[in-house]
Amino acid sequence: MKRLLHTLALAGLLLPMLAMAHKPSDAYLQLQVEGPHVEQRFDIALRDLDRELALDADDNGQLDWREVRTRWNDIAQLAQKGLALGADGQPCNPEALGTPQLDEHSDGRYAVLTRRWTCPANVHQLDVIYTLFAQTDPTHRGIVRVQHGTQSDTAVLMPATAAHRFEVATGEAPPAGFAGFVLEGMHHILIGTDHILFLLALLLPAVLVRTPARGWKAAPSLRPVLADVLRVVTAFTVAHSITLALAAFDVVNPPSRWVESIIAASVVLAALNNLYPVVREGRWKLTFVFGLVHGFGFASALKDIGLTKTGLALPLFGFNLGVELGQLAIVAIFFAGVWTLRDTRLYRGFGLRAGSAVITVLALGWLIERAFDLKLPLIS
Amino acid sequence: MLSSTQRFVQTLALCAAVCTGGLAGPAWATPFVPHSDDEVVERLPLRIGTPEQRQQQRAARERLRAQPTQLPLAVQLAREAIARARQLGDPRELGQAEAALAPWWALAEPPPAVRLLRATVRQSQHDFDAALVDLDALLREGSATPLLLQAQAELTRASVLQVRGRWREAAAGCERLGSDRYAALGNTVQLPAQACLAELTGLQGQADRAQATLARLARQAGNDPSAGWLSLVRAELAERRGDDSAQALYRHALQTPQPDVYTLAAYADWLLDRSRNAEVITLLTGREDADALLLRLAIARRRSHDPQADAAIATLAARFDAAALRGDRSHDREQARFELELKDNAAAALLYAQANWAKQKEPADALVLVRAARAAGQAQAAEPVWRLVRDTGLQDARLNAIAASSKGTT
Repeated sequence: MKRLLHTLALAGLLLPMLAMAHKPSDAYLQLQVEGPHVEQRFDIALRDLDRELALDADDNGQLDWREVRTRWNDIAQLAQKGLALGADGQPCNPEALGTPQLDEHSDGRYAVLTRRWTCPANVHQLDVIYTLFAQTDPTHRGIVRVQHGTQSDTAVLMPATAAHRFEVATGEAPPAGFAGFVLEGMHHILIGTDHILFLLALLLPAVLVRTPARGWKAAPSLRPVLADVLRVVTAFTVAHSITLALAAFDVVNPPSRWVESIIAASVVLAALNNLYPVVREGRWKLTFVFGLVHGFGFASALKDIGLTKTGLALPLFGFNLGVELGQLAIVAIFFAGVWTLRDTRLYRGFGLRAGSAVITVLALGWLIERAFDLKLPLIS
Repeated sequence: MLSSTQRFVQTLALCAAVCTGGLAGPAWATPFVPHSDDEVVERLPLRIGTPEQRQQQRAARERLRAQPTQLPLAVQLAREAIARARQLGDPRELGQAEAALAPWWALAEPPPAVRLLRATVRQSQHDFDAALVDLDALLREGSATPLLLQAQAELTRASVLQVRGRWREAAAGCERLGSDRYAALGNTVQLPAQACLAELTGLQGQADRAQATLARLARQAGNDPSAGWLSLVRAELAERRGDDSAQALYRHALQTPQPDVYTLAAYADWLLDRSRNAEVITLLTGREDADALLLRLAIARRRSHDPQADAAIATLAARFDAAALRGDRSHDREQARFELELKDNAAAALLYAQANWAKQKEPADALVLVRAARAAGQAQAAEPVWRLVRDTGLQDARLNAIAASSKGTT
């Protein structure tokens, strides 16, 4: 009894600063809602699992992967007992678990449990019934993020409380975050020099027609010129939208160095074509082919940041829309400029050639940098 | 050069994190599968006791789970968990204590033993008001609290009041503890009672007398388990008096196989104040689990231009973010120092220091507020500290040095 008092008395005096001394037990639950399906990612700290399940079989204070992997069924069972989902009053059914994986959080490694839940119908209200560690650690919290389209809601759940209800937007109207993606897309195209230069190289000669005898000459009427610009821009848009989507949804993934190099090459070729015309008619076809590569440029890099396929559609659409709007603005301003200048000797004799030459040199520099993985001091 | 593709991806990543709101990136990194079965995937936190003892603990928990209303077993498990929380600084242990006491936890009038433990857990979670409600009830005239539990409640109450800056009330409690009322409990209570009173009088302008009393108590204690704690109290007093004997006392307090977080943090601060950064790194490496210690380690590493500083700062930031996400504001003092000493953001530091001062008024809290206010160029924001110094007679060499230097400059 005497010793007991000491332990407690001292504990009482020393404890005040402890609440922040250490990260408390949190688990992270991500739920992605798509129609009647909910994709789950549940991150639970290994040290919490060890306390519950005594994972450290050899009791050496370290968990190796074997000790965790061989107990995955127990871990899954514990996780399943701690979580139930319901949609609009009906329970959802858990499907098979994904492969055992881990992730690193600020206080150590976590087991990552992925699985899909299927609800009876499209989800409008998602009920999350969270009871993980309710019996053993009432200070535990489940940090839940429910994602639907581009929107997400976060809640901090206490294990012992009743179900938490998330309202899931049905997705007809683009949510507020959509505008942000559109703006980001516009911003991106306005600072994306290689994409702009590709477009400009294509547009430089659009206001001129090449005559067999006297070289470049101002286009006489607006209508065919506009039609040509429209074809080129549309081809570029359609092409890069296709490959951007393929890339984002992980359908095709060409190596990024090749893609980046070909993008640079496309700018070189488009500019060279102005100086030494090879492709004259139907430049939109050339644009389409290279536009595909410009879109592909996003493939490997998208994979790098680990964005998942699910829930990417709307942001991607918004972003692309922004890109197109920005592109349209550039085209409009540039076109208005060159249209008025087209009849001047300066433009025909110098503007087109000098502009194309500058673009060629710059893009050639990128091409060398990207193809040979070099850094050239003058190209920035 | 940064290709437009890289820029696009950065933008998209930023967008995914910012435009959609919600959690920040780190919590949702890409998961991985370890390369081999033998790969060590987690170092478990420091553990207490032998494998057999842990086995017994686990068995006891199982027994309680089977029959959750066994009061003596529940109280025993809760006490052990609180003791581990003190040593390791892991709030999960407080959750374990709460879990053991679950059948009684929400009662308005739980059994006294449970009520005392509930107050202790709440105090540790910085829920001071709720802790005081329980402690006051345990000490109410005519309550059926056994004498031993009353003594513990009195001591815990004094420490809560001390943190709150209500030093006179705390001292009155320590005096009661030393009175005849508790004489039957002998030296087990007399020693902490006298130490607690000495510490409080030491805070209120009578440092010399307190120092003498504590030295005498330390001699009496000899090799008693309380000796380490007495050294800590004496070390803090010596530090406030600007007496270099603090170092030896801190070292004595740390002479245990697994020193607790509070003592390590206090000694690290003493070293940091003397720019002995290398010693802090040696002292705290391996104890990064505890945020309070990681903070001090990061400060020492940053000051010594250690390349590992950035990683430590990033980890701390992520832990603060996680705490913010769960609505936990119990670490304002540490966050103030984080902003001040690791992010050079004096304005933010001052806000945290002020929020902390509203809750806690120990010398360490005063110091953080004064330093943040000075760094932010808002010396007047530290006025509440100087008022407390005038009202209580607090003597602290660190505060005095700042006061003297600011007088010199104005």
